[in-house]
Amino acid sequence: MHHERRAVMLHSVFERAFHEQMRALAGWAIGIAVYCLLMVSVYPTIRDNTSITKLVDSYPKAFRQMFAIYDFGSGPGYLRGEIFSLVGPLLVVILAVLWGSDLIAGEEERGTIDILLANPVSRRRLCLEKWAAMTLGVAGVSAVFAVVLLAVGPAAELHVGVDPLIAATLATALLGIMFGTTALAISAGTGRRGLARGVTAALAVAAYLVSSLSGLVGWLGPVRPASPWYHALGVDPLANGLSWHPLVLVALTLALLVLSVTAFERRDLAVS
Amino acid sequence: MTRPVIELEHVTKHYRAGGGVDDVSLEVAAGDVFGFLGPNGAGKTTTIRLMLDLIRPDSGRISIFGLDPRADGIAVRRRLGYVPGDLVLYERLTVRELLSHFSYLRGGLPWGEIEELTERFDLELDRPIGALSKGNRQKVALVQALMGRPDLLVLDEPTSGLDPLVQRQVHEALREAASAGRTVFLSSHFLAEVEQVADRVGMIRAGRLTAVERVADLRSKSVHLVEVRVAGRLDAERFRQLPGVTSLDVVGQTVHLRIAGPLDPLVRELAHHDLEDLSIREPDLEEVFLEHFGATAPTEPRREAPTHAP
Ligand SMILES: Nc1ncnc2c1ncn2[C@@H]1O[C@H](COP(=O)(O)OP(=O)(O)OP(=O)(O)O)[C@@H](O)[C@H]1O
Ligand SMILES: [Mg+2]
Repeated sequence: MHHERRAVMLHSVFERAFHEQMRALAGWAIGIAVYCLLMVSVYPTIRDNTSITKLVDSYPKAFRQMFAIYDFGSGPGYLRGEIFSLVGPLLVVILAVLWGSDLIAGEEERGTIDILLANPVSRRRLCLEKWAAMTLGVAGVSAVFAVVLLAVGPAAELHVGVDPLIAATLATALLGIMFGTTALAISAGTGRRGLARGVTAALAVAAYLVSSLSGLVGWLGPVRPASPWYHALGVDPLANGLSWHPLVLVALTLALLVLSVTAFERRDLAVS
Repeated sequence: MTRPVIELEHVTKHYRAGGGVDDVSLEVAAGDVFGFLGPNGAGKTTTIRLMLDLIRPDSGRISIFGLDPRADGIAVRRRLGYVPGDLVLYERLTVRELLSHFSYLRGGLPWGEIEELTERFDLELDRPIGALSKGNRQKVALVQALMGRPDLLVLDEPTSGLDPLVQRQVHEALREAASAGRTVFLSSHFLAEVEQVADRVGMIRAGRLTAVERVADLRSKSVHLVEVRVAGRLDAERFRQLPGVTSLDVVGQTVHLRIAGPLDPLVRELAHHDLEDLSIREPDLEEVFLEHFGATAPTEPRREAPTHAP
């Protein structure tokens, strides 16, 4: 008697979207974990080294404001400056934009969309399932921040609470998902991955600059509420914990998702 | 009277960069095998992508199974199997993963039936598609189109890249589908292919449907090609005078001529000559096609060139 080989079956579009990104996601998760561990491991040295904290204090105010580096002497201040002000959300936004722009337009540019949509699957369902995969993947990778920092925080004497850490991680994830959905909307509406990536990257940079410079440049103040980055991390969740601000990101994301589906349903696929 | 499975009424689609199809109207009845013939860039793929709602017409109406491919896309595509003209599959999936994925999207098909098809086309289930030859990928596309025995098969050049043996296998599968009452819409450059499997053929060129004929009618409309070598004196004029002769060429003692209609007068005339050699053959569709389209015939080399008399 010989045994049936265990057949690998693949089912929904959602499942395939994950299947295709599995290795990449593992890579991002490991990268983020390593980055967090590195930052945390040097924290005690930096905190106890008065010349570094003094050096940081001597940076120009604009510079410190832009990269949120003040108060390196406390755990939350350090995490904000080194992880949650720029590098952390930037990594998550990059992952989300690369993936979001590829969900639909990638299949179009590679040429697989014809045979896929010859199946009895609506464009709406395709769009929603792919978006759900991206959202879950980005959330999962973002969760690495909270998991790693909560695990090693006590040993490194970070003195950071669970709530603020979860609030900052959630804000990071929602920011990434929002920009990922922006990239999805542009690429679902145009079929062009490069365009979606370029435009979304420009929007993300603008959002970041508005959020980080608004305290410094007077006229940016009134514009600040228009920046998603402000509602995510500009409101300093590490200090203030959970707030209503991330709901702005949720609302934006849902609006962009509706736009994605509507634009995708309306147009010719893979034409030039 | 039952409604045709495929109906196109004055369908027009222009691309921004130029090209497309113009005012195409055609019908394919249930159980018919329709061959869609045309040279490169004629608009075959465009027509097919319109039927699948991958692109939308500028004007005109399309109905498949009496349904609108846009409004009732799911219902239409549930009964349709498709092989795309520019085939690209998910390279990183294995054959098994791809087929189980598509089977799931179609509401779950019996796996045993899918395996029968992969065995028939000699496909290994656990190889990644990226590692398959072009021909084997084409077979994967065929299997996914045939699985679930859809009522309508829409195949855009399904045999391109396949060796003659597998082409024959495909033709056999298509004939089987047809005899089971399913409808087939088959695009091709190959006249020999269409001639072998289709009941009706539509010819498209530069976006316009130029003719739709029954394959049998197309042949009977056509001329016969005659080559005759005579001994002794040759009076070519006598052949030229025969009713139905459209062209005539004399090379030494050999006359080449094309004759339309009954062959009787020719045979009578031949009786007056001392024949050294004679060949009369029916033109294949390619020659009929040439007659229709003049010089702009498909660029593909003919696969089964007719043997000329020595
Ligand atoms: N996706 C597209 N975007 C822009 N133009 C296109 C597209 N597809 C086809 N065309 C243009 O429309 C015309 C018809 O092309 P189509 O692909 O329908 O021809 P075809 O008969 O399938 O040709 P082939 O035998 O080479 O497959 C061509 O001029 C082509 O350049
Ligand atoms: Mg084509």
